[in-house]
Amino acid sequence: MPFIESSAKKVFEKLDIKMTNMENASCCPDPTGFPAVDQTAWLTLGARNLSLVENKKDDIISLCSGCVETLKMVNHTLGEDPAKMEEVNNNLAKIDKKLNGKVVVKHAGQLLYENLDVLKSKIVKSLKGLKVAVHYGCHFLSPSEIIQWDNPFEPTTVDEIVRALGAESLDYDSRLQCCGNPLLKTDKDLAYDLLYKKLSDMKNAGINCITVVCPSCFLQFDYQQRAVNKKYGTEFKFPVLYLTELVALALGFNDKELGLKFHGIKPKKMLQELNIISNE
Amino acid sequence: MTLTIDYDFRKQIRSYNASLDYCFQCSTCTGICPVAQLTNGDFNPRKLIEASLLGLKDMLIEEPKVWYCLTCQKCVELCPQKVELTEIFDVIKNYCVKEGKIPEAFNSQAISVLETGVALPFSDPIMKRRRQLGLEDYKTVDPKEIKTLLKSIGFDKLLRFDTPTTDKKEGGK
Repeated sequence: MPFIESSAKKVFEKLDIKMTNMENASCCPDPTGFPAVDQTAWLTLGARNLSLVENKKDDIISLCSGCVETLKMVNHTLGEDPAKMEEVNNNLAKIDKKLNGKVVVKHAGQLLYENLDVLKSKIVKSLKGLKVAVHYGCHFLSPSEIIQWDNPFEPTTVDEIVRALGAESLDYDSRLQCCGNPLLKTDKDLAYDLLYKKLSDMKNAGINCITVVCPSCFLQFDYQQRAVNKKYGTEFKFPVLYLTELVALALGFNDKELGLKFHGIKPKKMLQELNIISNE
Repeated sequence: MTLTIDYDFRKQIRSYNASLDYCFQCSTCTGICPVAQLTNGDFNPRKLIEASLLGLKDMLIEEPKVWYCLTCQKCVELCPQKVELTEIFDVIKNYCVKEGKIPEAFNSQAISVLETGVALPFSDPIMKRRRQLGLEDYKTVDPKEIKTLLKSIGFDKLLRFDTPTTDKKEGGK
């Protein structure tokens, strides 16, 4: 989803944080589908990705909670288990790569939170009128011993960012529940049931848009609302904005610059009604 | 149904993840599990751990229940005994795969990573949209390198190439 990447790039440029693309990377690979097939292959590909930046002394920033979890888990697992590290390095030797130690891996949401004061000073457009349902998702928080970021049962960091932008963040019943995306692989109906529960709770709380910090959750909310409506006869049509898209709007970027028309549910009309973007 | 106890299977799970032994069957995992709630307990993480402790290999591998785990990690967060349920379920899934029982969506995603290095390849429309949004072209991994690496550890032998691999799971825009 290039629009998510584009918004992040714009936001971090404004915050004077230098980002470069991590070239030659493979899939992280994802922490749900790939280790289910072969845990060792998962650790090996993850370690290969970490090894790409180790010598450059860069940190890895990812917009995806799944990538962050995988890379943090690989760091953790190999750091705790020298025998596993040796096995993985023996695998990597076949392509002339080696992982020595730890690479700092961070979620872009964490980086934003750590720079919240600078961010506040750059806001040019209040997002007043947006009633946001924050969906933290699973891998942004858990397993908390390894992710080591927000409280997995009472998270606040994303809410604080949303409020700093002038928007409201509303509480709703199934706030911490999974979006259901991984179940699309096993049982689509159950995946829709989980999403239906979340959307119903959000609606009852009186929200007008949803914010996510994971592209997988984004796909689930933005593209599967239609499937939920079909199954349940509902009329959910909540625009979904990835966190950096929301921030970019507050930093003065418009829907065109952000490519918001490429979303499944277009946020333009709502943003115009709230005077967050102009009516042109 | 006859239940066969396979001690070796239990031993192997423990050798991958020793936390299995700590479970005292309190059912906190099932209580917090969103899929257990949705399926009225048909998916039951406590029972899967119990079956692992008892070495009921056939039951775990013949029935596809373990694949219903979302990996949301809520059970791992709350487990008073710090049992790493999602990792233990991965070990069980890895056994299913070795026995040729890999669900199609998992198989097709794994094939995509094997062949291209990524689960969702950078297709022409995606590259075009990147340019529209002012993003520079991006160089992903040389697929040959990933193929060499994964083949060297026998990953390709785990997958089924006889089934269609049209995975249109989410229509990634």
